[in-house]
Amino acid sequence: MATLTATAPDTRTFSGTAWSWITTVDHKRIAVLYLVTALSFFMIGGVEALLMRLQLSRPEADIVSAERFTELFTMHGTTMVFLALMPLSAAFFNLLVPLMIGARDVAFPRLNALSYWIYLFGGIFMNISFVAGGAPNAGWFGYAPLTETNFAATHAIDFWAFGLQILGISSILASINFIVTIINMRAPGMTLNRMPMFVWMSMITAFLIIFAFPAITIGLVLLVFDRYLATSFFLPAGGGDPVLWQHLFWVFGHPEVYILILPAMGIVSEILPTYSRKPLFGYAVVAYSGAAIALVGFGVWTHHMFTVGLGPIADTAFAISTMAIAVPTGVKIFNWIATLYGGSISFKSPMLFAVGMVSMFIIGGLSGVMLGSPPIDSQVQDTYFVVAHLHYVLFGGTVFGLFAGVYHWFPKFTGRFMHDGWGKVHWLLMLVGFNLTFLPQHMLGVDGMPRRVHTYATDMGFDLWNMMSTVGAFMVGLSFLIFTINALRSIRHGEPSGSDPWDGGTLEWTIPSPPPVYNFAHIPVVDSRYPAWDMKRGGGHTGAVATAPEADAEADEPDIHMPNPSYWPILLAAGLVLAFCGLIFHQVFILLGAVIFGISLMGWIEEPAA
Amino acid sequence: MVHKARRIVTLVNGDENRPAQGQHTTPLTPRHRIYAALLVPALAVAALAFAACGATPQTTLEPTTEAARTARDLLMFVFWAMVVAFVLVEGVLLYVLIRFRRRSGDELPAQTHGNTPLEIGWTIAPAVLVVVIVALTVPAIFSNARAASPDALQVRAIGHQWWFEFQYPELGVVTANELHLPVDRDVEIQLESNDVLHSFWVPSLRGKLDMVPGRANRFVISPEQTGTFLGQCAEFCGTAHALMKFTVVVESQADFDVWAETQLTDRVPPASELAREGEMTLTLGGCVACHTIRGTDSAGILGPDLTHMASRGHIAAGILENTPENMRRWLSDPQGVKAGNSMVIPELTGDQLDALVAYLEGLR
Repeated sequence: MATLTATAPDTRTFSGTAWSWITTVDHKRIAVLYLVTALSFFMIGGVEALLMRLQLSRPEADIVSAERFTELFTMHGTTMVFLALMPLSAAFFNLLVPLMIGARDVAFPRLNALSYWIYLFGGIFMNISFVAGGAPNAGWFGYAPLTETNFAATHAIDFWAFGLQILGISSILASINFIVTIINMRAPGMTLNRMPMFVWMSMITAFLIIFAFPAITIGLVLLVFDRYLATSFFLPAGGGDPVLWQHLFWVFGHPEVYILILPAMGIVSEILPTYSRKPLFGYAVVAYSGAAIALVGFGVWTHHMFTVGLGPIADTAFAISTMAIAVPTGVKIFNWIATLYGGSISFKSPMLFAVGMVSMFIIGGLSGVMLGSPPIDSQVQDTYFVVAHLHYVLFGGTVFGLFAGVYHWFPKFTGRFMHDGWGKVHWLLMLVGFNLTFLPQHMLGVDGMPRRVHTYATDMGFDLWNMMSTVGAFMVGLSFLIFTINALRSIRHGEPSGSDPWDGGTLEWTIPSPPPVYNFAHIPVVDSRYPAWDMKRGGGHTGAVATAPEADAEADEPDIHMPNPSYWPILLAAGLVLAFCGLIFHQVFILLGAVIFGISLMGWIEEPAA
Repeated sequence: MVHKARRIVTLVNGDENRPAQGQHTTPLTPRHRIYAALLVPALAVAALAFAACGATPQTTLEPTTEAARTARDLLMFVFWAMVVAFVLVEGVLLYVLIRFRRRSGDELPAQTHGNTPLEIGWTIAPAVLVVVIVALTVPAIFSNARAASPDALQVRAIGHQWWFEFQYPELGVVTANELHLPVDRDVEIQLESNDVLHSFWVPSLRGKLDMVPGRANRFVISPEQTGTFLGQCAEFCGTAHALMKFTVVVESQADFDVWAETQLTDRVPPASELAREGEMTLTLGGCVACHTIRGTDSAGILGPDLTHMASRGHIAAGILENTPENMRRWLSDPQGVKAGNSMVIPELTGDQLDALVAYLEGLR
């Protein structure tokens, strides 16, 4: 087993000039870019949430205007889903997939950089709306006809529609990249059946993105036609149907939930075994249940539409498919608990977050079963009950899971630990604050408080729960402040971690932290699911990993050919987003963007790949 | 593959002394007290929450129709089933976390990879639970979609940004934001929208159903209790979504008939000089473009019918009690009361306000 080294980590991978970051095609640096950007957007989305909670802390408050409130909840949802959680997952895909499968980079390094830059510019594009005439204000779901020009004459909805298209391009490019990487670039011996569970979940997520995003892409194209070309896809007066939008949105929107949760499930499936020193229980079933969730997830979308009036037959069919999802989801949870059973469990901060994820996600899953029953849903749909449910899934599940990942792999990124004590303070504050925020919201919903309301009357009996919820939200906010300070401090002053601080079982723990540019001096040969454990415990085969990490670090730089840096990805992304700006600001930008896009594409093609 | 994995396991475990299980009686450490301390308030809040619903006028837990009762009963059944599942699963999780915490740094636990019978078992368990829930759900879905009896009262409810219009086609009554229904009789309500999506929701009468432009949703209820019940738009419909409320007055058939009779009459002529002035102000001003007051020249259809507006309990779509002070406030600053609404009203002098309020409060 690798011991903790007292020497400062080798940070060559992550130091360097701004130019080196702009032109990087190294998956690890792109992971850092994703991580920092996603956490920044996460903070913005969090501030939006706190402003809403302030406004709702007491009845008939006047802290945020009704107009501003609609912008806040629209941008909170959009930001958290598309700009914070998905990219946070992408940060982990980028860092971990090549390291876990024993590859030196992703299949298409420049495409990877392009995905990031499109995401960054798309996120900025969408948030510019706040200072350019008003932010999107029709909800993250943008139900027509509220998004049509006769009800939304300003460009707010255009920022949203084009922003989502831009981000969709980024997500689809990244997904293609990771599918190709996972299928083609696994180290010798790493069959699909030996892939780390996180890689499994990454692959399933990538497939989900590729199949789900086209639905919203089409919906948004039709919406833009309605808005710019006066068609009537969603306008009944012209023969269209607003319910069509809802179908297109939720055929995307429900798989999107699994796009958000599966990576966190993958992270937890790596962390629970590591800290209990046992392999994942029922590996095959955990993998297949992930695939089953993804597959069935495409057949449940109208449970978001039980109150639309689709009729009892449709409601019955989708109630059954929705309930069916509870089975593979339950199986995952039982397998996680069985992984812990009989283990030797250490409660470092990553493990606390992972256990928090499991225990909070259970609550979200259970309230989901309640919502899957249409008669129940007809009462609590569009109330705070649903707000509570979705946050138990996406905060209790995804955010806890992703932060477990941040604490767990921070040493791999930086070669240093995050402070464990402050990590535990973060965890405790977040756990208590999170429950204080969202547990009372179940009750608000059952007591009849609708969602997306900027105020409520004094005599409704909503006061206490709302105040609790606001107090909890600020506790969560404080916990992220603690996290941020801890993370920033630990980058430079954290205790050196060495290459394998947690006794990990997967390949990334066999190489130095931070990993060298080329990751693996020698491509490992894999013959089990936990090759690093085999190596350390002597139970594996001689060929499991050719060299020990320390030997790697001390060896001379091996002559390994890596892809050259390239500035074409950032230029291509800039051209693309500039062209979209032209649809809102001035047509000249379309031309300018197209020219930059074309030149970049030519440059990209002509550039020697390596 | 599996064989290989197992073989490695035995290799790894061969020289390990597994710690004997069940011999540890370590007292609770502070960490475990924290877990316990977290679980207790969580359960307490849930229990308290379901106990403290008396003071909430818009709750879903006090149904007064069969449809609402069906939903409530199902909600409570599934809720308790979920509480049982919650306690079991979280209980086992907590037990495992405490029981198998690391005690020394070098122990290596048994490397179990799976257990097929066990895994089949916990696949079947949730499946059985959801089959039971589905079995209870499906009849409820169909009973909520039942057809109306032949003598059912027909009502059209039309959503507007941000108020509700109610029409009784058989009676010829048109009103706004206050729906009157007779008790113990089927009512078929047809839901429509004039602009964007809205949702018709009176928790004590029934779960919500959306008002979709271009479509006509219908549902049937039979109110069982007289009284006034609160309703609210439940589908986001723009800036003033939170301020789009209404009330449902369920009354005896006799009272309902009297009400409908009154609604059909023309407006009560102004009773005072001030009120007459108010009617002049109203009909000569822009109000007629949007509002109907039968018996006057005011016949607009964009805003609520005001012929008998003083008979209603609230103004501005259920958000202000119908008092002279509130009426004054609404007329002098409609955008301040409900930002974004379409009411266009010129700056009024104090005298004009007095006159208008006197007139409108007389429209019983």
